Amino acid sequence: TRSRSFPPPPSDQNSPCPSPSLSISSSPSLSLPSTPSSSCGPPQAVTPPLGVISEGVAELSLVIDAEVAHRACQEVLQKVKLKQLPAAPSSAAPSPPAAPALNTPVKPLKIREEDDPEGPAPGSVKSARRRQRHNPSKQSWLLRLFESKLFDVSMAISYLHNSKEPGVQAYIGNRLFSFPHEEVDFYLPQLLNMYIHMDEDVGDAIKPYVVHRCRQSISFSLQCAWLLGAYSSDMHISTQRHSRGTKLRKLILSDELKPAGPRARRDPLTLTPFCPVASPAAIGEHGLSPSKRTHQRSKSDATVSISLSSNLKRTASNPKVESSQDEDSSSSSDSLEFEAGPPVRLAPQREFIKSLMGIGKRLATLPTKEQKTQRLVSELSLLNHKLPARVWLPTAAFDHHVVRVPHTQAVVLNSKDKAPYLIYVEVLECENFETSSVPIRIPENRIRSTRSVENLPDCGMTAEQRAGSFSTVPNYDNDDEAWSVDDIGELQVELPEIHTNSCDNISQFSVDSITSLESKEPIFIAAGDIRRRLSEQLAQAPTTFKRDPEDPSAVALKEPWEEKVRRIREGSPYGHLPYWRLLSVIVKCGDDLRQELLAFQVLQQLKSIWEQERVPLWIKPYKILVLSSDSGMIEPVVNAVSLHQVKKQSQLSLLDYFLQEHGTPTTEAFLSAQRNFVQSCAGYSLICYLLQVKDRHNGNILLDAEGHIIHIDFGFILSSSPKNLGFETSAFKLTTEFVDVMGGSDGDMFNYYKMLMLQGLIAARKHMDRVLQIVEIMQQGTQLPCFHGSSTMRGLKERFHMSLTEEQLQLLVDQLVDGSMRSLTTKLYDGFQYLTNGIM
Amino acid sequence: MSQVEKKAGLLRRTSSSKKPLKEKVVLMYDEIFAKEDPAKNNARFWDELFLMKVNLEYLESKLESVDGEEVQRIQDNINSLFHHCVQALGEEHQIKVVNALQTLCALFRGVHQKNKSASGFDIINMLMGFDKAEQRMKDLMERLDSLLCGDGSESLKSLCLKLLLCLVTVTDNISQNTILEYVMINSIFEAILQILSDVSSRGQHGYDAVVLLALLVNYRKYESVNPYIVKLSIVDDEPTLDGMGMVVHQALTEYNRQYKDKEEENQGGFFSTLTSMVGSMFIADADEKLSVQTNEAILLALYEAVHLNRNFITVLAQSHPEIDIPTTPTTPTPTTPTTPLGTTPPSLDMMNNPELPLDPNLQTSNLLITFLKYASIVMQDTKDEHRLNSARLCLIILTCIAEDQYADAFLHDDNMNFRVNLHRMPMRHRKKAVDKNIPSRPLVCAVLDLMVEFIVTHMMKDFPMDLYLRCVQIIHKLLCYQKKCRIRLHYTWRELWSALINLLKFLLSNETTLLAKHNIFHLALLVVNLFNMFITYGDTFLPTSNSYDELYYEIVRMHQVFDNLYCMVLRVSTNTGQWKEAASKVTHALVNVRAIINHFNPKIESYAAVNHISQLSEEQVLEVVRSNYDTLTLKLQDGLDQFERYSEQPKEAAFFKELVRSISLNVRKNVSLNTLSQDVLLKEFSTIS
Repeated sequence: TRSRSFPPPPSDQNSPCPSPSLSISSSPSLSLPSTPSSSCGPPQAVTPPLGVISEGVAELSLVIDAEVAHRACQEVLQKVKLKQLPAAPSSAAPSPPAAPALNTPVKPLKIREEDDPEGPAPGSVKSARRRQRHNPSKQSWLLRLFESKLFDVSMAISYLHNSKEPGVQAYIGNRLFSFPHEEVDFYLPQLLNMYIHMDEDVGDAIKPYVVHRCRQSISFSLQCAWLLGAYSSDMHISTQRHSRGTKLRKLILSDELKPAGPRARRDPLTLTPFCPVASPAAIGEHGLSPSKRTHQRSKSDATVSISLSSNLKRTASNPKVESSQDEDSSSSSDSLEFEAGPPVRLAPQREFIKSLMGIGKRLATLPTKEQKTQRLVSELSLLNHKLPARVWLPTAAFDHHVVRVPHTQAVVLNSKDKAPYLIYVEVLECENFETSSVPIRIPENRIRSTRSVENLPDCGMTAEQRAGSFSTVPNYDNDDEAWSVDDIGELQVELPEIHTNSCDNISQFSVDSITSLESKEPIFIAAGDIRRRLSEQLAQAPTTFKRDPEDPSAVALKEPWEEKVRRIREGSPYGHLPYWRLLSVIVKCGDDLRQELLAFQVLQQLKSIWEQERVPLWIKPYKILVLSSDSGMIEPVVNAVSLHQVKKQSQLSLLDYFLQEHGTPTTEAFLSAQRNFVQSCAGYSLICYLLQVKDRHNGNILLDAEGHIIHIDFGFILSSSPKNLGFETSAFKLTTEFVDVMGGSDGDMFNYYKMLMLQGLIAARKHMDRVLQIVEIMQQGTQLPCFHGSSTMRGLKERFHMSLTEEQLQLLVDQLVDGSMRSLTTKLYDGFQYLTNGIM
Repeated sequence: MSQVEKKAGLLRRTSSSKKPLKEKVVLMYDEIFAKEDPAKNNARFWDELFLMKVNLEYLESKLESVDGEEVQRIQDNINSLFHHCVQALGEEHQIKVVNALQTLCALFRGVHQKNKSASGFDIINMLMGFDKAEQRMKDLMERLDSLLCGDGSESLKSLCLKLLLCLVTVTDNISQNTILEYVMINSIFEAILQILSDVSSRGQHGYDAVVLLALLVNYRKYESVNPYIVKLSIVDDEPTLDGMGMVVHQALTEYNRQYKDKEEENQGGFFSTLTSMVGSMFIADADEKLSVQTNEAILLALYEAVHLNRNFITVLAQSHPEIDIPTTPTTPTPTTPTTPLGTTPPSLDMMNNPELPLDPNLQTSNLLITFLKYASIVMQDTKDEHRLNSARLCLIILTCIAEDQYADAFLHDDNMNFRVNLHRMPMRHRKKAVDKNIPSRPLVCAVLDLMVEFIVTHMMKDFPMDLYLRCVQIIHKLLCYQKKCRIRLHYTWRELWSALINLLKFLLSNETTLLAKHNIFHLALLVVNLFNMFITYGDTFLPTSNSYDELYYEIVRMHQVFDNLYCMVLRVSTNTGQWKEAASKVTHALVNVRAIINHFNPKIESYAAVNHISQLSEEQVLEVVRSNYDTLTLKLQDGLDQFERYSEQPKEAAFFKELVRSISLNVRKNVSLNTLSQDVLLKEFSTIS
């Protein structure tokens, strides 16, 4: 599908250049014939000898697939071998797959770490010298590892971070291309943080990959820009301005990294050899005079290529070429996108995010929750007028366009001085949000069938209008049209009525009570029955929370997600469309979500570790979108309300609430809810312990409809704790209420809980490095409170207790649980929260 | 006439007129009213005429003074004048356009003034000539359309609208204005919509456009197919509908604001009057001071939009902050994109969007809220003819709203809570409600409050039966929706019950006076059936089981009223007379209420006797009620949850005819071309030419 959306330029076949897609930099020792002119590359003596997949304007739209990347890697590897292991005969054939002995990939890393002293910056003569010192046998282990199937993104990131070897870094930079996008995306914060804060070699190794991905995807571009901004924010302002991170961010936001049009694709100059300082696209930024010239020349040459391209176009047998041309022309005729200034490609989404943030800022100025809510509703109804558009929620798992914000459903969340809010967003799923056409706007009122006068001659005007608005939407895929116009038509004729002069409503009420004309026999009913039905129905209705103007989110969150979706779908003019989906998102303005993102990554990593090791611990990492160092979005956990809300609204103990919601202790429903509770408690107990999650009051713990608990708000983790009051010294929160739900401290479920924790800890310990790496890389260049002090990493590592036997570990778990249960501080902290924040 | 003199004087100084006592334009008018073709001697006569400043008064009076025979004589010249006016509308020279527009206005008015009794065809003949009329009017409408839709001067557009308003209102009965037949054929509907959809033009001309539309829709509404009705009913363009809503919203807001200002002004005298009042429930003189001219034209527009256009219902709930100063160009509006909607990326214009004002005290409002407030003011005093009409129209609009399922959905939407400060009539026996205490609730609560408020404040000798019927029917429709959708509204139903019972009490005590004029049994039947709704279907929409007990408590507590009502209707239904049938319906409807009373009263009495309590507390009565449900059997009545749907024709046709007539008179009075006449325009166009 990708190749369909980004058709390869026709010049691929006709190009005189044999390798249009990749320019392998020519090292002095090994010159490749495919590089036409090496004069352009600055003649630096210390040029890193290893090639990095470079990206010129030429191959913008070309997908560097895994195969190509692999080839590039092979070449680099070959060179590494040639240079560093002149004696080794490995150049004869690629190394065989890694031996089974390598299944603990940590080992080579460790060895290297030990004999590689922290010291001079690499990428210089020194590093070259150091390279020669290396033990060839260790190197060969490393090389074999790199080629092994076990070498995954996690390892790649780890080596990128730990290796001081430009060759290795360059190799990994190339290797990144061969990993699936999603896998690399998980480590994007790490990659970019390294890019910002580590030395140049790492940066150079990472940049081509980032630039390449930016060209491919708008969402990746924005993601990078946001993260680059956020992770650069802790730098001193003077260095920040000139940092590479800021420059890359500017480059992305300037929208130069877009897939070029057909004329640029054929630009011959873009096949210039790799300049080690910067990839050609970034040349302008660096302001080097020789590279600037190339940039200029490439522009002027473009005019020549236009005629070339038109020739090609005429002879092209591929109809796709034609269609791609059409695409370009149609999108350029779209005046709005064209006029909007240079960064049009990213503009809609940026503006969308900006306006959401603007709302948050304005809400913060209002004094009461009620005013905030009303204001939010009216602001969002204004926002609706700009939708649908080529905007999306980055927290979603599928491609889509936002079509409507059901503004009356939005709620302001509980927060003391900021105004985070939760919105529901109606989207239409699509194949690719960059290329699929933006859905047509269906007016709010279209939900209702128009009082039909369709059969009258004079309705031409609206039809014309509709057609008018339709034609200006660039249609990339004709199939998609199907839903936009026809369905509206159907909707309109739902109620065919014959127009009468008075145009009156015709009853749409279904007649409920039977007008018993025939059976004149009177029907009698008992008043007691009516009264009984009333109380029964009230009791039967799913327990809803009472509306509380001070806590508007409680009701909204309590409503079962499915029901909410159904309800909103019914009320939406887009609801009838088959690809309609409902998403929700929390917009946070004024909060730093970088720690949340870190916590999400750790949780996600632990989750996959536990899945891999088949330990049934349950946790729910929720997605975080960092937009800057003080704003972002959070994917809400659906069907969950906070323990605080549960207690306040139900006025029941947690166990009684479970009984109320799920049934008596022997029922299937209760037992499964209880099991869910235990599994999630175990998961989060470990998380809280390992990450030292603090501020665990009941407002920060959610309970979902299936009985799981979910911890939210990771504002205080690792080295930071709130107000330094010395509260919350226990390892995690385990109140007697929790234990009661588990069936008491000597019940089977409680033992199961402890057993799960032990298993979870053992599994986590086994893959400790995958967790540590995430945290460690993010420590660089940051001033996040969770990294306060010097012992953050050491402390984290220690909590995995590598040295303990499993028996000892079991003892430890028992201690932790015991300690937490008896912990006075938990109770104290809850009391403290109640006094200060009114959280029960 | 002093104005004329002043104008003449002004001209004398500036113009090079040779005859000092008569303006040149007046001389030229005289030539037209002479027998000869004025262009015969002066080929550039018409060109020159439209360069002259129009003397409306002279021209109109001249037309009026022409008598029957003369008409025949000068008809050619008048036809010619009309023809050249239409042609001048296409001139580049804006002065000419202005003068032509005003001349046309004078023509329409003058000719009609003179020939009030004349048939429409004679008038058309006199103005345009039969054979040419169709072409002339087509040209005129096309020119007006292009002037209204073009990028020309705003004052010019305004003048076009004034001309149209003038044309539409020249006859007292709009349906007798035969010229409008051509306005039907050559529609300017699209031009009106365009004005409404654009933010800036809406600000300047929206009001006139909306009033014009409301009037055009009422042209021969019941006799023929009016294309404006058809077109209005299918408009689905959001910005346009929003624009229409905004215009209405602003006009109503302005009214509410004026009223509030006046109220505050009168506050001092208010309470002194209050205390001095002894017998009367209403503070008549204080109230009169408060009366602000109602605006039926805009209300009619709102009615037509709600009634004809289903899509407009969504506009009612479109929220925007309350605007105090209408027609300011900076007014925040919810509509911006006039470009094809689907393609507008939320790009730069999203940020440039006039940000909502940041005043934290500003209440978010919507058209419906503003309308409810307006209705609460208008309905306070229904003695005045205009206010009675307005109140009736308000209730008709609410009826349409209550029948609309979509409207009901947002009225009952639990997520759309608002504080609606309804105006409550100051009354002797109750304190003025403290505004701040009104909780934020779904909008339907405000509607119910308004209905309750009306019920308790209009029990007077001059009984507004029609309004009461509408009021009770609105409540019934809302209850039907709640029953059908099982919506358990948290509303203090008790207030409604006691208001309804008081209404029955009032009907009983004024039986004889009221019966002389009204069928009180119909109203009584509707009220009793509301109780039957609660009694038999309460399980589907009451918010708590307690509220069902309270219903019984209220009925039992007020059993005297129901007893008396039963006696009365029984008496009337056993006698022969015109009310026999109607009264017997009420007796049947009362069967459940009587069953309840007869069932619980003895139980309560015996409870009191057993426990030796003379006066039972509410809790004790409720206890008795709760423990004795099971032995009570009720009869399920037919058709409680069905209602007759609103239909304008034939029932309301007379009302609307009269209403439109009164609006026409009012508009005609207010369309003064002079307000927008020469001075402003000359200033504007002198620089152009």
